[in-house]
Amino acid sequence: MVNNGAPDVEVVARVLGGDGEAFGILIRRYEPGLLRFATRMLGNPDAAADAVAESLVRAYRHLAQCRDPERLKSWLYRITGNRCRSHLARRHTNDISLSDAPPLADGSDTWAELERGEQVALVERALAALPAEKREAFVLKHVEGMSYEEMATVTGARIPTLKMRVHRAREALLAALEEVVR
Amino acid sequence: MSPIDPRLHEALDGERDPGELPADLREAYARLISATHLVSGTPRLSVAARVMTEIRQNPAPAQTGGPLRRSIRWLGRPVTVRLRPAWTLALAAGLAAILLLPLGPGGLTPGVTEGVAKFVGHFPGARSVEVVGSFNDWSRGALALNDDDHDGIWHADAVLPAGQHEYMFVVDGERWVPDPLAGRYVDDGFGDGQQNSVLIVRPAAAQP
Repeated sequence: MVNNGAPDVEVVARVLGGDGEAFGILIRRYEPGLLRFATRMLGNPDAAADAVAESLVRAYRHLAQCRDPERLKSWLYRITGNRCRSHLARRHTNDISLSDAPPLADGSDTWAELERGEQVALVERALAALPAEKREAFVLKHVEGMSYEEMATVTGARIPTLKMRVHRAREALLAALEEVVR
Repeated sequence: MSPIDPRLHEALDGERDPGELPADLREAYARLISATHLVSGTPRLSVAARVMTEIRQNPAPAQTGGPLRRSIRWLGRPVTVRLRPAWTLALAAGLAAILLLPLGPGGLTPGVTEGVAKFVGHFPGARSVEVVGSFNDWSRGALALNDDDHDGIWHADAVLPAGQHEYMFVVDGERWVPDPLAGRYVDDGFGDGQQNSVLIVRPAAAQP
């Protein structure tokens, strides 16, 4: 039995050694971030769940192809990012539709919660309006908290390119937020 | 959309203390940071059960399975055979006859639907070279190349099922490199721009 806190390299070795159940440790470890990333990329939690599930099954089947298990996290994000891009390509557009609209008000909602829901929807709309590659760069940087080096591993893009994408995304987001304030 | 003051980008990239920003930039900084916090919540859903079910239904652990590895495992499996003394001499004579039978190219005898793949790579100074590919589920340690005369040219022969296979060389246990002599390559599908080499094995029965 492999320890739940064991390093990725150790867990990967267990899975490759035939202990398929140990893959559950990696799922628990990375699923929240992957779902958050995919949801922000696709704008739809159901589509995001499909993308992450397909990515994790694919990762399991090709785990021996993970050339550097110490960077497993980047590898999983890369597979998920590819899956999201394929999903967007099938729609023939980079735009995403938001099914994550703020919840309808009921008697128990407080003004603060409603206001927060509207703010979330506003930021989501601004993110959804970004081209996919800028949205991806922004989400990896500011939502997933990755360094530019990690982002380069995930996306395959060069660091100056990624910085430019993040900068453009920030500008677009700030412009959208200021539009509302006016 | 207008360009943002570079100092704001520096602060957002952690290269500048946001406290040093002028008031208007500090306000923009706070607005962007709070916007990112708003969309940083983790969705309340899980695919863990679905993924584990899929894995259990169609188990394909990466280091097990695959015809080559299965064959190697089968050959290495200990077998106990009890023989009457009278049969021992006859069996020894039979085994000797089998070992002296002429084998195919490189000592390998492919079946009707198999062929012999020859892997050759020039890796001067390498300590080890092996081949991993779709034919052995990308398992490490299944097919090593040799450089007996230490000239930097590593080679190995293997019996593989006829058809198309993808593969890579692994040099010194850590460096994955495509075969420069492969002639055909395909994207490895993991989005990092890396390519797998492609090998097409013809069945031995189809060889002239």
